[in-house]
Amino acid sequence: MKLAWLLAWRNLMGAGLRTFLNVLVLSFAFVMILWMEGVMVGWDQQSKEDMRAWSIGAGQYWHPAYDAYDVLSLTDAHAVIPKETVRSGLVPVLATQASLFPQGRMMPVRLNGIPSQQSLLKLPTAALDTTMDAIPALMGTSMASKVHLNRGDRVLVQWRDRNGTFDAMEIELVDVFQTTVPAVDAGQVWIDLSVLQELMMLPNEATWLTMGEATVDSERMAPFVWKPFSELTRDIDAMIETKSSGQAVFYVVLLLLAMLAIFDTQVLSIFRRQKEIGTYVALGYTRREVVWLFTVEGSMHAVLAALLAAVYGIPLLWWQSVVGFTIPMDTEGFGMAIAPTLYPVYSLGLVVTTFVLVLITTGLVSYWPSRRIAKMNPTDALRGKIQ
Amino acid sequence: MKRVRLFLGIFLIGLAVMAQDANEILKRVDANLSSDNRKIVSALTIQGKRSTRRIESLSYVVGREQSFTEYLAPAREKGTKMLKMGQKLWLYTPATDRIVLISGHMLRQSVMGSDLSYEDMMDDRSLSQVYTATMTGTESLGDRLCYVLDLQASVLDLAYERQRLWVDAEWMVPLQQEMYAKRGVLLKRIRMDDVQRVGGRWFPMRMLYKDMLKDGEGTLFEVESVNFNIEIPEHVFSKASLRR
Amino acid sequence: MIRFLGKGLLRDAGRSRMPVMVVAIGVALSVFMHAYVHGLMQDSIEMNARMRYGHVKVCTRSFAENAAQMPADLSLLDVRALKQQLTAHHPNLQWSDRIQFAGLMDVPGMMGETRAQGPVIGMAVDFFSTHSVEGERLNVQAALTEGRLPQQAGEMLLSADFSEKLGVQIGDTLMFMGSTQFGGLAYANFVLIGCVDFGVEVLDRGMMLADLSDVRIAMDMEDAATEIVGFFEGGQYNDAAARRMQESFAADFEVVAGDPYAPVLLRLKDQDDMGQLIDISGAMGLLITFIFLLAMSLVLWNAGLLGGIRRYGEFGLRLAMGETKGHVYRSLQVESLLIGLLGSLIGTVLGLLFAWWMQEKGLNLGDSMQNASMMLPTVIRARITPVDFYIGFIPGVFATLIGSLLSGLGIFKRNTAQLFKELET
Repeated sequence: MKLAWLLAWRNLMGAGLRTFLNVLVLSFAFVMILWMEGVMVGWDQQSKEDMRAWSIGAGQYWHPAYDAYDVLSLTDAHAVIPKETVRSGLVPVLATQASLFPQGRMMPVRLNGIPSQQSLLKLPTAALDTTMDAIPALMGTSMASKVHLNRGDRVLVQWRDRNGTFDAMEIELVDVFQTTVPAVDAGQVWIDLSVLQELMMLPNEATWLTMGEATVDSERMAPFVWKPFSELTRDIDAMIETKSSGQAVFYVVLLLLAMLAIFDTQVLSIFRRQKEIGTYVALGYTRREVVWLFTVEGSMHAVLAALLAAVYGIPLLWWQSVVGFTIPMDTEGFGMAIAPTLYPVYSLGLVVTTFVLVLITTGLVSYWPSRRIAKMNPTDALRGKIQ
Repeated sequence: MKRVRLFLGIFLIGLAVMAQDANEILKRVDANLSSDNRKIVSALTIQGKRSTRRIESLSYVVGREQSFTEYLAPAREKGTKMLKMGQKLWLYTPATDRIVLISGHMLRQSVMGSDLSYEDMMDDRSLSQVYTATMTGTESLGDRLCYVLDLQASVLDLAYERQRLWVDAEWMVPLQQEMYAKRGVLLKRIRMDDVQRVGGRWFPMRMLYKDMLKDGEGTLFEVESVNFNIEIPEHVFSKASLRR
Repeated sequence: MIRFLGKGLLRDAGRSRMPVMVVAIGVALSVFMHAYVHGLMQDSIEMNARMRYGHVKVCTRSFAENAAQMPADLSLLDVRALKQQLTAHHPNLQWSDRIQFAGLMDVPGMMGETRAQGPVIGMAVDFFSTHSVEGERLNVQAALTEGRLPQQAGEMLLSADFSEKLGVQIGDTLMFMGSTQFGGLAYANFVLIGCVDFGVEVLDRGMMLADLSDVRIAMDMEDAATEIVGFFEGGQYNDAAARRMQESFAADFEVVAGDPYAPVLLRLKDQDDMGQLIDISGAMGLLITFIFLLAMSLVLWNAGLLGGIRRYGEFGLRLAMGETKGHVYRSLQVESLLIGLLGSLIGTVLGLLFAWWMQEKGLNLGDSMQNASMMLPTVIRARITPVDFYIGFIPGVFATLIGSLLSGLGIFKRNTAQLFKELET
C-alpha cells in the first residue's frame, strides 16, 4: 500500500495548480474553523475569567432572599457573616437600594459595601481606605459617565437603614474603574463594607460572600446558599453556545465548498485516467484496491491542506492569540462580561478534531466518485472507452 | 459664690422646664392637629414640570388608625377611594371595580404624583408619641413668633430620625416642619399657613410639601372645610364602603 | 457564435453538466452564506430595532436622557400632528407611535380584592388599526405561546413566565396600575387574551403588550406617546439616511433650542450600545463574506481549470480539423462565460430559495438559550438582501473564466497531436 501513497503523491504533484487550489481552499477551511472556534473558546474563557476576577471569584454564597435581578429583594437579603469566613479569605458584600441625586434628578442605584482591604476582586477598593467628610466611593466608567461624575466629584446619596429611616450623605468618587463586567459597573456604587454596615445599622452582616477557592461548606455558612461558578456563568455559556451554533453553519458551508472542489477533481481524475485504471486492474489490482488508490489520492488533499495550513496557519493563529482579536464594543447593554479583546485559545483537541473531521469528509468525498471504478469493465477501461 | 450657685440652679431648672415645655408644646400641637374624628374636604395641587393638577377629596378620619378618602375631582379621579385600616391600605377604582391592596414597595410610591408617599400617610403615631422634643429657641416666621423645636426619634422604625418644627407661640400650630436624614441632610420641608380657628382649635388650612432633593415646585395641600368630632358611622371604615 | 456555442453546451451534456453543476452549487452556497451571515449579524440588530429602538426614534429630549426609567411625564404631545409632519417629510419611513411604561399588575381574587401582584414593564402599540403593521413588526404572532392577539378594547398580552408567576389564565381580567403622564393614578382592567414568549429574559420576566388606545385612556395620554419610531421601507437600517434625517431634523421641525420637551430624533446607532453592535456586526459580516468569497473563487477557478482540461481531447480534434488555436481558445472562453452565467443563475436561484427557506423557518436555538438574559434572537434566520441577487455572479462568472483562461493556455502549449491523444483517454 506504500505504492498507493507514492502514486497519490505523484499524481497530486503532477496536477500542479489544480492540487494547489484544492489544498489552499481546504487549508483555508481548516484555519478558519480553528480560528473561529479558538475565538469562541477564548471569549468564553476570558468572559468567565473577567467575571471571576471582578465579581464572582470561585463562587459565591448568597443570602437565600437575594435575587440579583430584583433590587427590592435587598431589603430582606442580609444576615450575619458566619465566623469562619474571616480566616478563609471570603469577601463579604452588603448591598442595599439607594438613590443618587445628580443635578436635581433622582436615580436608583445599588449601594454595595465591600471590605476596602480585600484583594480577591479587581475592584480598586484600597482607594476606599481613606477618611474625609464624605463617604469614599467607587464607580465604573460607564456608571460615572451616566451620572456625569468624575474622580473627586461629590453627589448626594439617599438610603434607608434597617428600620426604614431615611438617611443621606454625600459620597466622593475616589476612583473610577474600567471593567468588562457590567454587573459591577451599571447602576452600582461601591463603598467600604464597615461604613455601609454602620450606615445601615447592620453590623457584621452581608448579602453575599465571594469565595477565592471553591471549597463548599454549606453547613457552616448557613443561612447563605452556595452558588457555584458554573451557575453564575450560565449566561455566558448560553451565549457562546448560540454563537457557536450560528457559526457551525458557516463551517459546514465552508467545508462543503472545499468538498465541492475535491469532488470535481476526483470526477475528472477518474474520467481522464480510465486507461490507468484499466492498467491497474490488468496488473492484478482488485477493483477495491483501485478504489482505495483513488480515495487515498483524494484524501491526501486533506493531509497536504493540514501541512499548508501549518505553514501559514501556525504563525497566523499564534499571532492572533498574542495580539488578540479586538471587538470595539461596549457590552454593558448585554448585562454580562464580554471581553473587548478576545485572545483565541486553541487546544490540541480542537486541532485534532478539526483535522479528523476534515480528513473524514475529504475521504468520503474522494471515495464517493471512485465507486464508479468498481463498476468499470477493465478491458473497456484499458482501451480508454468512455463509459 | 452662693449667687453663682443659685443662678446655676435656676438655669438648670430653666433648662429642664424648657425641655418639659418643648414636649408639652408638642403635645399641644398634636392636640390641635389630631382629633377623635373629623371630616375634611381638601384639594391637593401638584405642580408638575409641564402641568399643574388639582385633586379634590373628602376624607373621614377616626383617630390615627382609620381613614377613608373619596376623590371628588377631577373627573378622572372622581370616585376613587382609599381606605386605611391599621397597617393596611386599600384602593378602590370605580372604572375597574377593583379593590387593590397597596403593599410592599408600592407604599413607597408617590400618591397621585405628589411629593407625598402612601407611607407618609400610613404612620399612625402622633409626633409626641415617637419624638422627644427640645426647644432650641424662638424665631419669627413672617410676623409670627415661633418656638423652634428639635425632634429626636424616641422609637427606631421612623422614616425621619430628626425633625425641626416651628410652632406658633400663640396658636400652638406648626408653621414649618423639616424632615432630616439621620446624618443631617434636609430631605423634606412642609410650610403651613392660613391658620384658622375651627371648632375651638387652630388649624392650618394650607400646607406646601416639598422634596428638597428633587427639582420641582412641591405639592400644595389646601383644606376647604374641616369638621371635628362629628358622628362618623362605623360602616364607613369597611371594604364594603369602598364599592358604595 | 454565442448561440452556436450555447447549443453545443446544451446538447453535449458531458461538456456542460458537471461545470454548470459545480458553479451552481458554489454560487448557491455563496448566496446562501451571504444571506445567512447577514441574517446572523443583522437579526439581533433588527430585533432590537423592532422591539425597542426603531430605525429612528423621535421622543422628547428629557425622555431621551432618562429613557431607562420610562418617564411618562416626559412624553411627546400632539403626536398626531407630529406624525403627519414626519410622514410628510419622510414618506419613505413607516412611523408608529408607541408608549413604553412601567407599573404594577394586580390579580383579583374572588371578591375583587388583590390576590397577587407583580411589577410589569409595558409597551403599547397599534394593534387595532387595519393598516398597522406593528403586531407583525414585533413578531407577536410567532411569540404567542397561547391565545391570540388583541382585537378589541381592553385586551392584552402578558409574557408567559409572568402570567404563570401570577397564576392567571387566558380570559382572566387583571388590573394595571401605574402613573398617568400627569403623575395621577393610572389604572385599567385588561383581559388576558394571549401569552407571549420572546425568548428574551428582559421581556419575559414581566411584560405586557396592549393596544395604544387602551393605554392612552389608562394613562391619560390622549394624543401623547413616549415615542414615535420610524422604520425604513424594506426593513433595513440605513445609517446614512438616518444621519441625514437627524441633521435636518431641528430645521424641519422648528425645534426650540433648550426646550427640554422639544422632540429630538435618535438614530438606532445613538441608542444604548446599538452603535457599536451595528459597527462590529457590519465588520464581522464583511470579513466573513470576504473570506468565503475568496474561498469560493478559488474553488470555481479550479472548476474552470478542470472544465478546460476535460476537453483537451476535443481541442486536439478541432485543431486537427483546421481551427486555429486562438479560435479554439476564444470559443472556450465564451463557453466558460456561458457556463459561468448559467451556473451563477441556477446557483443564485437555488441559493435564494435555500436562503428564503432559512429566512422563513430559521434555525432554532431556543433550547440552548433558556437562561440567557439578553436581546439575542433564539432563532437564527437568513436574511435576503438585494446584494444576494448579484453577489454569486462575481465568483461564479469571473473565477470560472479565470480558470478556463488558464487551462486554455494548454491549447497553445501543447501541440495538436498531444491534445488529440487526450481524446483517447
